[in-house]
Amino acid sequence: MTPMIDVVFQLLIYFLVTFTTPDVLAHLDISRPAPDASQTEQRTPPKMIRVNIYEDGFSLNGRAVSKAELERILNRLAGFSTSQTVLITCAGGSGHSMLVDVLDICAGAGLNKLSVVSAE
Amino acid sequence: MSRFKQPSDHVNMTPMIDVVFQMIIFFVCTVQLEKEAISEFIMLPDSPHGPMIAEAKDPRTITIEVDDRGRIFIARTRLSEAKLRKVLSKTVADYGRYGPSIPIRIRADGGAQHASVKRVLDACTSAGLHKISFVATKDRA
Repeated sequence: MTPMIDVVFQLLIYFLVTFTTPDVLAHLDISRPAPDASQTEQRTPPKMIRVNIYEDGFSLNGRAVSKAELERILNRLAGFSTSQTVLITCAGGSGHSMLVDVLDICAGAGLNKLSVVSAE
Repeated sequence: MSRFKQPSDHVNMTPMIDVVFQMIIFFVCTVQLEKEAISEFIMLPDSPHGPMIAEAKDPRTITIEVDDRGRIFIARTRLSEAKLRKVLSKTVADYGRYGPSIPIRIRADGGAQHASVKRVLDACTSAGLHKISFVATKDRA
């Protein structure tokens, strides 16, 4: 029996060493305007929250804000109503991680009507 | 007396151990195959507040990957933008009425530029797909 137990212990140690817990993943759902609907900018109702993402920062309803400020203001706005639409406009050169930061803040605030638009 | 007990006091374990080892090897191999479909070089951005991905996903789900250099992959196969559009519109056409509700998951690297993610988003919308979500890391192990 001893050789078999040796082998089984070797296998056990091998699996213990190679075992890694997988990362827990999140999904951030968005909606995307149809390609021909280019008139969204003109007919934006005032209830809409507009977040712009640039290469070097964020702006909220036309005012430049830091990430911490954005989080604070969005949390306060979500306190009134979570059914507001958030229109997120991304500049082409902005990083994908910044978009995910904004989507994450919205998910944390409970805002779930998210529309992502790309600026040229 | 002890001669009659001879067959029962030594059970032959070898066939059982053989079968168990075969099973271990089978499960190890199948787990590896399941992991092959996604690239391990993509560093997903963090999203601690995002909702967790459900274990039971829609079997139609298409996972599109974008790496930090803007290259597009499906199941570790690199696709050009034109090829991606062709693949998506063909998939939508194959599913017929259920085509436009196919969920899309975009696994984009945190370092990717929005312009390269936009190419994937545009390809999805022009194929008529509207259930789009981004994958991010909720809890890093």
